[in-house]
Amino acid sequence: MKVLELNNVHKVYNTTHIEVHAVNDVSLNFEEGEFAAIVGPSGSGKTTLLNMIGGLDMPTEGKILVNNTDLSTLKSSAIIDFRMRNIGFVFQSYNLIPVLTAKENIEFIMNLQKWSRKKRDERTMELLKAVGLEDRINSRPAQLSGGQQQRVAVARALASKPRFVLADEPTANLDTKSTETLLDIMEKLNRDENITFIFSTHDARVVKKARRVITLEDGKVVSDKTRR
Amino acid sequence: MITKTAWKNIWRNKIRSLVVIASVTIGIFAGVFAVGVMNGAIDQRIDEVIDNEISHIQITHTDFRSNNDLACNIKDVSRLEEYISGIEEVQAVSDRLFVVGMANTARKSTGVNIIGIDPDKEKEIFGLYKELKPGTGDYFGDPDREELAYIGFDLAKNLNIIRYEINDNVIDELKSAGLPAEILTEISKFSGERFDNERSFKKAMRSVISAKNESGYGKLILEKSQTFRERAKFTLTFVDSNNQLTGGVFRVGGIYNIPNSMFESSQVFVQDRILRRLIEFPENTAHQIVIRLKDVDDTRSMTKKLRTDFPELEVLNWKEIQPDMAMMSDFAGVMYGFFMVIILAALAFGIVNTMLMVVLERIKELGMLTAIGMNKKKVFRMIMTESVFLSLAGGVSGMVVSWIIIRITSTRGINFGSMQEGFEAMGFSSHIYPDIGIDFFLIVTLLIIITGVLSSVYPAFKALKLDPAEALRTE
Repeated sequence: MKVLELNNVHKVYNTTHIEVHAVNDVSLNFEEGEFAAIVGPSGSGKTTLLNMIGGLDMPTEGKILVNNTDLSTLKSSAIIDFRMRNIGFVFQSYNLIPVLTAKENIEFIMNLQKWSRKKRDERTMELLKAVGLEDRINSRPAQLSGGQQQRVAVARALASKPRFVLADEPTANLDTKSTETLLDIMEKLNRDENITFIFSTHDARVVKKARRVITLEDGKVVSDKTRR
Repeated sequence: MITKTAWKNIWRNKIRSLVVIASVTIGIFAGVFAVGVMNGAIDQRIDEVIDNEISHIQITHTDFRSNNDLACNIKDVSRLEEYISGIEEVQAVSDRLFVVGMANTARKSTGVNIIGIDPDKEKEIFGLYKELKPGTGDYFGDPDREELAYIGFDLAKNLNIIRYEINDNVIDELKSAGLPAEILTEISKFSGERFDNERSFKKAMRSVISAKNESGYGKLILEKSQTFRERAKFTLTFVDSNNQLTGGVFRVGGIYNIPNSMFESSQVFVQDRILRRLIEFPENTAHQIVIRLKDVDDTRSMTKKLRTDFPELEVLNWKEIQPDMAMMSDFAGVMYGFFMVIILAALAFGIVNTMLMVVLERIKELGMLTAIGMNKKKVFRMIMTESVFLSLAGGVSGMVVSWIIIRITSTRGINFGSMQEGFEAMGFSSHIYPDIGIDFFLIVTLLIIITGVLSSVYPAFKALKLDPAEALRTE
């Protein structure tokens, strides 16, 4: 089932003197349950593409349909609500709320969706177990290693059972062991919960795990390979 | 969740938040305490004026206040007093004679108001008899001595009734009061010498002790060196009801000491039967009826009632007799408001500044929150809540500190002894008991909350304007 469709998407930034084509005529489809990596050198448009898929940025031209909804037709408040219900984000620098514990960080989005306490507790424990941090439930981000923080970030991204997770360079700040652990967890969650994962990455270890690899260069898709 | 997160966010940078809270606390305390001191001083002054000088309501002939003519008097006083004392709200009533004259001693003379009173009835209305300076007499306690007068300390000084002398007793008292030995040795040089007035004594003192020692111990030496000749004689001269110059010899039956120098130096109290005889004034007439009410809050209604009952007489309450008191009270209200506006403005700027820094520091995090689905309304609410918490924490702690300090000082008082002369020249006591009503506390607390909410709007709007994609790119 198609969860995401990009049709002739362009993104042009107007600086003072020149126009920069960050994304140039990209058309892609993503099926439910995909585990895809978008790769390419710095400045190739990976983050811009992810931001547009996540509704954080709007294309200058073209359409992005998420679950057959054209994001450009939604008001900004509706986009935020749409993101909350359908998209999970994992960031390169974890971006956890430093004053909250691991449990509270994961619960945050469920609170925004007004889940009951019982449901929240069950889901939080389920995710903490899935990312192997059930013993760090009350630890604050500063008390966790980088790898552990990113695992909490993955759990937070999955908290509200989104349709897909967008991860921007999720392993860039992690060592080899943490990267492997994180990738194994994400791969398992992808399989168990059938959630689509789309990464932007430079990391060969992520590329190796991905079942689909899309390569961008100067904002254009230069290759799109699916592995079985 | 937003409230909990906002509270935790305040403590993200503990030192900064504590500095903000401490500055708000100090600001609020400074403002509230200053208002408390002003309010206490004014209330004390009003109480003293009512209690020692004018009572709640005075009744006079309609022309008496403008020309002080003896002929402008109230007839059939006993009937009036009987009627007034029968009013439920009235605690006590008395009548007075009032003559303008001169007080004279062998060395000095000065203009005074001579007030003829019934000492026992006066005690039920005024508290001036309690202000008797120890060792100067017994008010009008000796029934055999009709010619006694109760005079103010400043008048006693002006008439050279108070003198200054260093003797063995004074040396002993100063020694036990902690005066350093070297100063004692210096001032002992004047032992046995008597000074007629304060000025000559101070001049002599300055010739032997340094300015620093004078500022530290001068007041103590001055107080201990004061001597008073019991039942000192002086004369009062005035015009009688036949416009003939007359007068009498009086003896000091007591010296009162109150914070109002003007009153002290000009008001002499004598027994009304003596004064009546001297001015040849008919019985059952008086110049003034003074009334003390059971409750000061009844002043306005009782003034109105008495005006209706006695349309031919002038009925004035304390606010009308001393409009400066009423004006001071009203002006103080304006000043309190002005003070609080300045303090709340400082609080608002402090909060705006801090919260703008908070927003600036957390751009990336706020971008992340919007990215994961926290809508703008909730981001706005979170920043607002943080600001309100910060204002409330500082505001409430400021109010608590103020309340504690005001409670302590309202019973012990604050002594501005070094500025005593200045205070007393303005009619204020130098020992002030700060006081603030609970309504003031409640209003200020409410204003702090409103200020906190208003000052959080701008930083919260700043947070709303953030573009999440842009914010997430921030390092």
